[in-house]
Amino acid sequence: MSDANKILAEGARRVWRYQRVLWWLFIVNLVLAAFGTVPMASRVGAVADHSLHSQSLYQGFDVVAFFELAGNPDVAMWSKFSGSVLFALVFFVFALFLTGGVLEAYRAGRKLPTGEFFQACGAFFWRWVRLLIFMLIVLVPVAILAWAVDKWSGTLASDSPREKLGFWVQLGGMLLVLFLSMAVRLLFDMAQVRAVAEDECAMRRTLTRAFKLTFDNFGSLFWLYFRISFLAWLGLALALWIWVRIPGQRVGLTFFVFELVLLWWIGTRFWQRASETVWYERRASTPSAIPEPLEMSPSTAAVAPPF
Amino acid sequence: MSRRKPVLLVAVTLALLLGATAQTAAAGKPLSERIVAYQIDARVDAQKKTIDATETLTYRNLTGQAQDTFPFHLYLNGFQPKSTFIREVRRDHPSFEWKDKYFASAEIKSFEAVGMGDVTSQIHFVSLDDGNADDRTVFQVKLPRPVAPGASVQFKIAFQDQLGEVFARTGYKRDFIMGGQWFPKVGVWWQGAWNCHQFHATTEFFGDFGTFDVRLTLPQNEVVGASGEEVSSINNPDGSKTVTFYGEDIHDFAWTAEPEYRVVTGEFTGSAGPVKIRLLMQPGHMKTAPRYMQALKGTMRLFDRWYGPYPYKQVTVVDPPHGGGRADGMEYPTLFTASTTWWMPNGLRLPEDVVEHEFGHQYWYGMVATNEFEDAWLDEGINSYAEVKVMSALYGADRSGLDLWGGTAGMAAVERWEYRSAADQDPMARFAYQYMNDSSYGDISYGKTATVLFTLEKIVGEETMRRALRTYFMRYRFTHPTKEDFLKTVEEVSGQNLRWYFEAAVYGTQILDYEILKASSDRADWYLKDPPEEKKGETLYHTNVLVHRKGDFIFPVDVLVKFDDGETIREHWDGRDRWVRYAYDKKAKLVSAEIDSERAIGLDKDLFNNSYVEERESGARRKLSAYWLLCTQFLAQWLAWLV
Repeated sequence: MSDANKILAEGARRVWRYQRVLWWLFIVNLVLAAFGTVPMASRVGAVADHSLHSQSLYQGFDVVAFFELAGNPDVAMWSKFSGSVLFALVFFVFALFLTGGVLEAYRAGRKLPTGEFFQACGAFFWRWVRLLIFMLIVLVPVAILAWAVDKWSGTLASDSPREKLGFWVQLGGMLLVLFLSMAVRLLFDMAQVRAVAEDECAMRRTLTRAFKLTFDNFGSLFWLYFRISFLAWLGLALALWIWVRIPGQRVGLTFFVFELVLLWWIGTRFWQRASETVWYERRASTPSAIPEPLEMSPSTAAVAPPF
Repeated sequence: MSRRKPVLLVAVTLALLLGATAQTAAAGKPLSERIVAYQIDARVDAQKKTIDATETLTYRNLTGQAQDTFPFHLYLNGFQPKSTFIREVRRDHPSFEWKDKYFASAEIKSFEAVGMGDVTSQIHFVSLDDGNADDRTVFQVKLPRPVAPGASVQFKIAFQDQLGEVFARTGYKRDFIMGGQWFPKVGVWWQGAWNCHQFHATTEFFGDFGTFDVRLTLPQNEVVGASGEEVSSINNPDGSKTVTFYGEDIHDFAWTAEPEYRVVTGEFTGSAGPVKIRLLMQPGHMKTAPRYMQALKGTMRLFDRWYGPYPYKQVTVVDPPHGGGRADGMEYPTLFTASTTWWMPNGLRLPEDVVEHEFGHQYWYGMVATNEFEDAWLDEGINSYAEVKVMSALYGADRSGLDLWGGTAGMAAVERWEYRSAADQDPMARFAYQYMNDSSYGDISYGKTATVLFTLEKIVGEETMRRALRTYFMRYRFTHPTKEDFLKTVEEVSGQNLRWYFEAAVYGTQILDYEILKASSDRADWYLKDPPEEKKGETLYHTNVLVHRKGDFIFPVDVLVKFDDGETIREHWDGRDRWVRYAYDKKAKLVSAEIDSERAIGLDKDLFNNSYVEERESGARRKLSAYWLLCTQFLAQWLAWLV
């Protein structure tokens, strides 16, 4: 087995070993999304539950009936979208909070007591906020590039003698934007891994060092990141392939399939994190650089169950 | 080549054509009155996108009175920044920005009334619709002496066109040229006056029937299509070619040219004989050609069976290139433009629908040539109704518009959706350029009219409706009927006085919306402190169904009431009062109450409140909630990628 594969295998092993956090994140995602769905569902129910016309949405999916329902003043479905966005943001903050504990668990290579886990979460939270600000700044030019590619490809799609040129430019541009986004994500992943490994508080310094580390090892690191991303997208594609073959009224089955995908996505994202941590341990860290586990008061550690 | 040669050639060919033309040979007289006869000799500069042409128009004065003033359209001048057309576009779309490439013009170089001399100096532009002095889409010319009733007058007009990049229907896109509304076209004497409106953002066209003998000279590499039939094509020594087209009993002439066209041919044989089908396809769209062909043949078959014969010998379908979408979906006599893309999925029936719709216009516009400035609904709306019927017959009522990845949409629902968007904004019977805005024009003249006619089926029956349209077509083809001609035909064929319906649906803006306000079953012994256990078939219930008319549109409705012993009761309500209550004392509980269970009243604005089911059916809610939940989960997960 090659080194890269060994890293992936070890990453997967750590994700599997600490899978409880994965399930927690999945459940929180589901619960928050459910909170975001309730207002819409109750409004839809008030109009559709006692109407025979709603059967056209259940037996199949009459697109016009859907838009008629969505636009019904008693439903006003799109106005409920802000609720979903709000809960998605709450999940985002929760995930941001959890990241420190997750990375600490992967770094330590052992089950962290709950208190220790959340202590790590709290210890790194504001560092991640600072890193997030840096990342958003770095993503601005990427977003501008995406906008420019979209505009350019639109012009080509209309004006170029070659009909598909606009499409190919759009596709190529999207791939480029995707590549840059992944590279940026990888850079900040490594900054986080390093911050946890070195217990670094200075985020600009850790970002600079992570940049050098990522730049020097870009091929191997990106290949690591990309392979797992590819598997994540493959899972979604497979789910879509299955979904179009599921009869319209098999709502439960559709839901189950996409919940699996979501679980797979969360899992693969953790797999990337764990693999990056393993990679850092093996390629970049020195024994003295690995910090001791965060100190816990004995009573807290004893009471809290392992996470 | 001299002018005499092609004229002679055309004359000989025409004689042959006329001899072979079923519609004229059989009856011995033309299908239409042929008030106009256009002869146009045009040279197209495919690089500069200009047209230099001479037009000889012979006009038969059948107005019943002497005429010394004639109005003409110069539609291309609508594509100028100060025109009424562009002014209205900007009014409805404040973000619209003018681009120089849109500029188009038609300029009269000289105007001669044969036998009366040059009258170019007598030309002056008029703006009778809105008084816009900068609009140059209509001009009038005053002759030195009037043309007597029954006499003919001949005009010789030299004009030059500059085409713009296609902005609406006509123009160019790269090498593609769509020559629509490109020549000076005389107005129509209609209802005792000249009818020659300015070109508006929401108006189409109106013209007299006649003959069109058009010679187009353009580069030899151009593939050309046009209204009528190709009579000859002669290569000229200068590298150009002259293609001659002739059409009769048509009221407009359009042409197209592009070197890249791939020609696909087919044939349809209807009750008026064989019709040659000519598709002018973009190379990248060839996979759509079979879809176009299948939809066109299916449409021709059903129109022939339902409404009447297609009497022309050819129909040409033009497939505009990418980026030229503004030329898509436009009808001209015996020629129309379609719409597709290289990636068009099979379940998205846009190509089929556009072909169906534009061919339908060969009947509702092409032959029944209503005034599109004033009665847009008569051609667009009747045609949209026919579109629903044909598409439903060909592809299934519930999926004739879309059948893709589990999502479906029938064309009747799509038309109804348009209607709902602007239900009370404008009456159908309104001049096209007087609608609130272009959205209302589209929603009312297409969607509402189709839905009004679909609902009319509920009153007169589907078969009667079909007979009414057939009668209307056969009676008024090759004429310019009015809205009342149509409405009276429906009344005549159905044998019903339908004024109550037309007043609200056609001339009014009332909303039609009925609802089951309340429906429930209550135990008759509800007052007992210790009532016996409920037993199916034994316990007596008082059932009340309250039906409410929410809108001001009064329409008779049926209410279907179902009970749990299997009994079904159909009630009929004239809808005149605001509400009606149906009460039943039965040993059965209510299952459901439904207004218009056949879903025939498309005008009902809200179908969700048309029924009440006692037992909650949460399937739709669960499905939508599941999808919403999943979307929220994925949104959250994507956001978390930033973490």
